[in-house]
Amino acid sequence: MIETSGLSKYYTFGSGGRITALNDVSITISGGEFVSIVGPSGSGKSTLLNIIGCLDQPSTGDIYLDNARLDYGNAASLVQLRRHTIGFVFQAFNLISSMNAMENVAYPMYFNRVPKPQREKRSLELLESMGLGERALHLPSELSGGEQQRVAIARALVNNPRIILADEPTGNIDSKNGKKIIELMKQVNRDQGITFLVVTHDMKMAENASRVIKMVDGEIVD
Amino acid sequence: MLIEDFSMAFRQLRMKKARTFLILLGISIGVAAVVGVASLGEGIRVNAVEEIQRSHDLTLIEVSPGLSSGNLVLITEAKVDAIKDYGVAVSPYVSDAYVTTNKTYFEVIGISQDYLDVKGLEIDTGAVFEDGTRQMVLGSDIGEKFEKIEGAGIGDVIEAQYRSYGEDGRSVDKDTNFGLVGVLKPTGTDADDRVFIDINTALELDEKDVYDGITVKVDRSDQATAARAAIERLGLSCYSAQDEIDSVNKIMNGVTLVLAFFSGISLIVGGLMIINTMVVSVYERTREIGIAKATGASEFDVIRMFLSECIIIGIVGGILGDVLGILFSLMIDGVGKPILVAKLGISNFEHLTAINIEILVAGFLVSLIISVISGIYPAWRAAKLDPVRALRQL
Repeated sequence: MIETSGLSKYYTFGSGGRITALNDVSITISGGEFVSIVGPSGSGKSTLLNIIGCLDQPSTGDIYLDNARLDYGNAASLVQLRRHTIGFVFQAFNLISSMNAMENVAYPMYFNRVPKPQREKRSLELLESMGLGERALHLPSELSGGEQQRVAIARALVNNPRIILADEPTGNIDSKNGKKIIELMKQVNRDQGITFLVVTHDMKMAENASRVIKMVDGEIVD
Repeated sequence: MLIEDFSMAFRQLRMKKARTFLILLGISIGVAAVVGVASLGEGIRVNAVEEIQRSHDLTLIEVSPGLSSGNLVLITEAKVDAIKDYGVAVSPYVSDAYVTTNKTYFEVIGISQDYLDVKGLEIDTGAVFEDGTRQMVLGSDIGEKFEKIEGAGIGDVIEAQYRSYGEDGRSVDKDTNFGLVGVLKPTGTDADDRVFIDINTALELDEKDVYDGITVKVDRSDQATAARAAIERLGLSCYSAQDEIDSVNKIMNGVTLVLAFFSGISLIVGGLMIINTMVVSVYERTREIGIAKATGASEFDVIRMFLSECIIIGIVGGILGDVLGILFSLMIDGVGKPILVAKLGISNFEHLTAINIEILVAGFLVSLIISVISGIYPAWRAAKLDPVRALRQL
């Protein structure tokens, strides 16, 4: 489903210096897998995630989604992937503070040109399935960290993606709620067959994964 | 979709009430300045045109000999007949200068009786001349002059000379005399300075076989343009009050445009305010833009988000500006009119300013266009934000 081949990412500076964030990363992830990427900070986990999520471009190497090579020169096709195939969950939740929970969940459907009544219906269903039905009209500032992350997961699911990319999803949440979030993601992975690629430094989370990829200094280590 | 774009944009603007209010104020003051100044120009134009319409009969066309491919086209009897179809009254005349023995110069117009009706001239004292005689009727001003200088009143005979030029270029003076039979009511036009006699007498005295001009009256003023065009096709020249109205319109439109342009400079300030505020807004919403892009917004979606806000600012600013502009215009009228009346004694106008729908629509469009243009750069900046960096910003 996801295949990276020789993926590298460098950052060059005006002074001629160069930082290697990713070095020759080649991984293959099958559909329906729940994969954890672990490693110390600065090991290139998030960079890998952002590149797979079409938010960033590799310096060299290719990514294949369903055997089709991603064309980074074609912005429209990347937008389509972000709209229909990929969902994001962030460490800092990244909810829009002026929108209530339901509006935040519905937000990606807005760019998919889904009519408002359908958007509201779908987001309410998702929030209810996550036990947040009664919090639908609350602003993010009125929700706990765990609740905010569940809203963010609902948002990631709203367009029925096939891949969810999560960057430290439990990083800003206490361990009890973090566990709930992991359970929720596992459940979605099991029930809906959505592929999860989760960046974490939380070993408990990693233990729940069907596969763990370890990274150090931009490289994959076994 | 479009309605939702605007409702989202409206929400954004409402969240920053004070800032939005200040931008709107900036734009609408600019629009108000343009509308107010344009209304002053329009007011002056309207007053000038109304003045022309008051003092001129717009159903009258004055026809004079014309030039057609270098040849003089004279007003012959045939031309008069040809023109008869174009007006309800077609009255030819001849015109010449005479001088009395006391050296009072006067212009004699040889006319047929219907000319008086066409021109709306009425007898004040005495009677109209009889056809085929050397009787004359005086305009009110020349009547007074004759009374003072010549001591002549109704019933008197006035000796006068008509000066023509022979083939050798020498002047030939011919003596003649006219019997004063009537004086006209004052009209405020140049008819007050003229002397009217029977046209056949005039042709005979002046030894002419063509006319110097024709006064054509059409039924309604809106027929004048067509009639005029038809007469001009015969090779003759025409003049009507519409010529003056046209030139007033031309001058005042130019003046208004220049004035509005300079007062519109304040709109540039309004535009810069929008650019500044929107750039700040892009900076503040960097994270939100990152979220939007990560969840599927294209660059165009982001541009649309910001431009929708600018369109709302443009629409509301335009409407507010028009309202303020109307108030500004009323203020100019309220303050300026008494000054004109007191200092210059000009009082034959109702309002100093005039507002029409074109001015308001122009004010509105200027606001909309400036707002959208000002939004392009910030929107472009937002669209080009790198989502990874945008999301990293806390």
